[in-house]
Amino acid sequence: MAELTDIAHEFIRQEIEEFIERPDERQRTINTFAKARPEMQAIAAALIEGENETVDQLTRGALDSGIEALEVMDYGLIAGMGIVGIKFRQNFIFVPEVLACARAMKAGMAHIEPILSAAGVEPIGTVIMGTVKGDLHDIGKNLCIMMLRGAGFVVHDLGVDTSPDKFIEAVEETKAPLLGMSALLTTTMPNMGKTIEAFIDADLRDDVKIMVGGAPVTQDFADDMGADGYGKDALACVALAKNLLGVVARS
Amino acid sequence: MPTKEELQQRLDQISELFASIVTHADHQSLSRCPYKNRFNQCTAQFGCRNKRKPKVQGELPVCVSDDKLDYRPAWEWPCDPIR
Repeated sequence: MAELTDIAHEFIRQEIEEFIERPDERQRTINTFAKARPEMQAIAAALIEGENETVDQLTRGALDSGIEALEVMDYGLIAGMGIVGIKFRQNFIFVPEVLACARAMKAGMAHIEPILSAAGVEPIGTVIMGTVKGDLHDIGKNLCIMMLRGAGFVVHDLGVDTSPDKFIEAVEETKAPLLGMSALLTTTMPNMGKTIEAFIDADLRDDVKIMVGGAPVTQDFADDMGADGYGKDALACVALAKNLLGVVARS
Repeated sequence: MPTKEELQQRLDQISELFASIVTHADHQSLSRCPYKNRFNQCTAQFGCRNKRKPKVQGELPVCVSDDKLDYRPAWEWPCDPIR
């Protein structure tokens, strides 16, 4: 059984000591990091801090130096995200910090993607995501994007306050078969319908499936505006995206 | 070279991790604004009645929500400067 002092990286030791309270989780985490080489511990530490540029550089460096992708994932990216998940569950950190860590994870995973592709693990599909015109709320959308990327989708994030023209442009450019729109205000919800109308006017409606979500949005509202699907939360968003693209299982 | 199955297993692990994070985020958002960070600062780009000027210039605005009442009606505040 490994000890906390077997972990070389001081920051990782502190994180475990300070934030991981459950004995089983603590021991499992210690065992993992005690086996991890310093480079992997550094990747995990940068991920926990939400430093995406550092994760990007360290991951690329590790793979370039011949470290296996599985080791980078097991002892760097996934191990780091594991601590993030525990800290979040215990309310030591909150959604903004978690999203920063997820962005750091994405930066590292970008270097793993060619290896996934070479092994035959292809992305499930491409999705365009954005918050509609006039709306600046993005947390729900960002959680959906985190989940979609984790599930194997390529996601193009158009951000907030996205006009119908921007959605159309993105679909035309990327040929994405799926579009997700989010709105959080009752005053901006109608802009989802306007965006769908813009797709009809541009003669592109049949080329793309459209899913919608956001706190005030309901299945009835989605049906009325002519969306192809409604997701009540980020988990439902992934299931809906798979369903709309006809994905049964990732493999 | 790792196999497809080995890589798939790691991706499934990441999906599971994110799913548990999202589930907790949903639960937590019933009482605490999801835009409020661990330093009780507001990360939202929009106006909110609970947003106050930062104590130090250049820092994020301060969130004064008490996490007891539903914070969402406060978001309907116009998207202009902080109170």
